[in-house]
Amino acid sequence: MAPRRVYIAGMGLSCALGRGLAACAEGLRQGRRNTVTVALDGYTEPVRLPYYALSGDAGTLFDTGRFLRLIPEAAIEALDQAGVGRVRRSRLALFVGSTAFGVSRAEGEYLEVLERHPGSAFALPRVGFQEVRDRLSSELGVGGPDFAFNTACTASANALLAAQRLISLGRIDAALVLGLELANRTTFTGFSGLQLLSQELKPFDAGRDGIVLGEGLGAVLLSAEPGPLGLELLGGASNSDTFSVTSANPDGSSIAALQRQVLDRCGLAPGDVRAVKAHGTASPLNDSGEAAGLRLAFDPLPPVVALKPYLGHTLGACGIIELVLFAESLRRGVLPPTAGFRVEDPQLGLRPLTRELEAPTGPYLLNYFGFGGNNTALVLGKTA
Amino acid sequence: MSARLLAWSHYLHAVRQAPLPSLDEPLRASCRGNHRRVDRFIQLALLGAARCATGRSLDPACGLYLGSGLGPVGNNILVQEQICRDHQFPRPFNFVNTLGSSATFYVAKELGLEGQAWWAARRGATLEALLELALADLELGVCRSALVGVVEECPAPYEDQRLRIHAAPDADMAEGSHWLLLEAESGPGPSGRLDADFGLDGPGLEAALAEAWAPGDTLALGPELPADLAARLRALARGPVLEGGYPVHDSLAGARATDWLRTLNQSRLQIACGCLGNYARIAVAA
Repeated sequence: MAPRRVYIAGMGLSCALGRGLAACAEGLRQGRRNTVTVALDGYTEPVRLPYYALSGDAGTLFDTGRFLRLIPEAAIEALDQAGVGRVRRSRLALFVGSTAFGVSRAEGEYLEVLERHPGSAFALPRVGFQEVRDRLSSELGVGGPDFAFNTACTASANALLAAQRLISLGRIDAALVLGLELANRTTFTGFSGLQLLSQELKPFDAGRDGIVLGEGLGAVLLSAEPGPLGLELLGGASNSDTFSVTSANPDGSSIAALQRQVLDRCGLAPGDVRAVKAHGTASPLNDSGEAAGLRLAFDPLPPVVALKPYLGHTLGACGIIELVLFAESLRRGVLPPTAGFRVEDPQLGLRPLTRELEAPTGPYLLNYFGFGGNNTALVLGKTA
Repeated sequence: MSARLLAWSHYLHAVRQAPLPSLDEPLRASCRGNHRRVDRFIQLALLGAARCATGRSLDPACGLYLGSGLGPVGNNILVQEQICRDHQFPRPFNFVNTLGSSATFYVAKELGLEGQAWWAARRGATLEALLELALADLELGVCRSALVGVVEECPAPYEDQRLRIHAAPDADMAEGSHWLLLEAESGPGPSGRLDADFGLDGPGLEAALAEAWAPGDTLALGPELPADLAARLRALARGPVLEGGYPVHDSLAGARATDWLRTLNQSRLQIACGCLGNYARIAVAA
C-alpha cells in the first residue's frame, strides 16, 4: 500500500496567549506577550522568573491537583473540532510528548508528606508516564494504544511524527497527539541552575541572552480522512547530534543535515518551502547553530518566524503548541512576525520576519531541537 | 510487521539487598568511550546497547529506540530530594539526566549514531510501543536498521520503590536492560527473525496468535493479560506455555524476548503481551 496522506482534523490550544484556539490566534494577532513573575523562596538564591503562564491561572501554578485538572483541556477542543465522538475514541491512539509529565503532582505530594510526616516521606511517590493516558481515558474515553515521548524539547514533535507515520502506513486511522508542559519546581530550579534563563525572549537578536519558560497544552487530531481545515502533516525527520548534551553543534552541520533529510523525505526542494518556523530559543549558542544550519540548507533563506516570544519556551510541548498556533495563523492567511527582535546579529546572517506577511498555500517547515542532541523537523502543508 | 534480528543482549538482575553491583567494570569491558556524569539508568542503557552491538560497526543512520516504563527513577529521586527536601537547585547534570533523551545521547555517542534517537514509553508495555515505532520506520525506509532497548531501574531503598510501583511485599524486583538489533528484511543471510502484530484487542490477539502459530512454537503470556483472555490463549497454544518466573520490572516482554534469544533456543517464542485492552503478539526466533 502506498503511504497515505495525513491530515489535521482538529486542534486545541491553551497557553499564555489564551484558553482555546480562537483566543490564542487573536492574542497572536495582537502581539500579546503575557508573563507573570514566579517566585520560589527558600533556596540559596531566590528564584524570581518571568514566566508565560496559562492565562488566568497564575495564582495556582503550584497546586498539586492542577496537572490532572488541566490535562483534558486542549484535547477536548481538538476532539470536538474533529467531531470525534465517544465511540471512535475508545480505540483512538494517543501520542503524548512532555519533558515533565506529572512531576508537578509528584512534587506537591512529596512536599505535603514532608511537612506533615517527614519521617515517612519519600521522593517521587509517583513514577511513570501513564497519568495522562489514565486521565484522558477516564474523562474522555480515549482508549487506544498510547505512546509517551520524553525526548526533551522535541518530545511532542516526535509524537506528531510517529503518529503521522503509523497513519501513513495504515496501522491506525487516526490519533490524538498531545503536548503538555505545566509549571513545576524541577524545571524552574533546573534551568536556574543551568543559567540559561533571561528576562526577555529575543530570538536571533544581537542582544539575545537566554530563554523565558512557558507552559501550555496543545492537541492535534491527525486523520487519514481529509478534513475542512485545509492542513496536512506531510512528514518529518529526526536526527541525533552528539556534540553536547545541552546544545546542537553551533556550526549548524547537524541542523543542515536535518533540513536536507526532511525535504528529501517529503519530496521537496529548498525553494518549495514557503517559510520556516524556527525553534528560536534565543539562547546564544542554539540560535547560532540554527541560523548556521538554515543558511547551509537554504539559499536564499525563506521567511523565518519564531513564536517563543508569544508563548515562552514550552519545552516538550512546543512541538505541538507552536505547530497549532502557526497552523491556525496560516489558516487565517497570515504569516506572523517575530516579536522581540530589534538588532540584527551580523554573526548569524539571519533576520527573522518582523512584519506580517500573507501566507500562501504550500509547505512550511517547523524546527525543534532538544537536550540530548535530539533534532526534529516537520513539514506542514497548507492546502487551502 | 517483521524484521531480521541481527543481535540481542540481556541483562536482568534481581534486587533483594542494597547495594547493587557496580556497573563500572562491565562498562569498561563493553564500551569504547569513558562516559562521565552518567547515572545508573544511563549505565544500564550503555551496557545493554554496547553488548548488543559487540563486534559490529553500526550504520550511523541506524535508528535508536530506547524506552522505559518508569524512566530514570534514581536520578529523578535525587533531584526531587535536592529541590523539595534540601532546598537546593539540582546539580546541572542531575537535572539534564531527568530526561530520557540523556540516555539516548550517551548511547548514540558510544555507538557513533547520527540518525533518529527516540525515547518512548508505555506503562507495562514499553517494548511493544518501541517495536511498533521501529518496525514502522524500517518499513517506511526511515532507517535500514534499528537498535531497540528497554531499561528498567530499581533504586534503593527497595521498600520505597515497592510502594512507588505497588509491588507486593514479598515480590522480588529487578533492574534490567534488554536490547534487539533489527534490520529491514531484504537479501539472504542467516539470522533470526522478529515479527509482530500491534494494537490488538482481546479477540484480535487471539486471532493473530492463531494465524501465526506454528508447530514447535512456545507461548509466553504477559503478566497483565486478563485471566479469561490468558485462559483462551493457553487453550489455543499447542505447546509449552511460559508464565511468570521473573522478578517485577516494567518491561517484562523485553526480558522474556532477550532471555529466550540468549539461550540460543532454536524454536520460536510467541509472546502475547500488553495491557489495558491494547495487546500485541511478538514472535522471536534466533
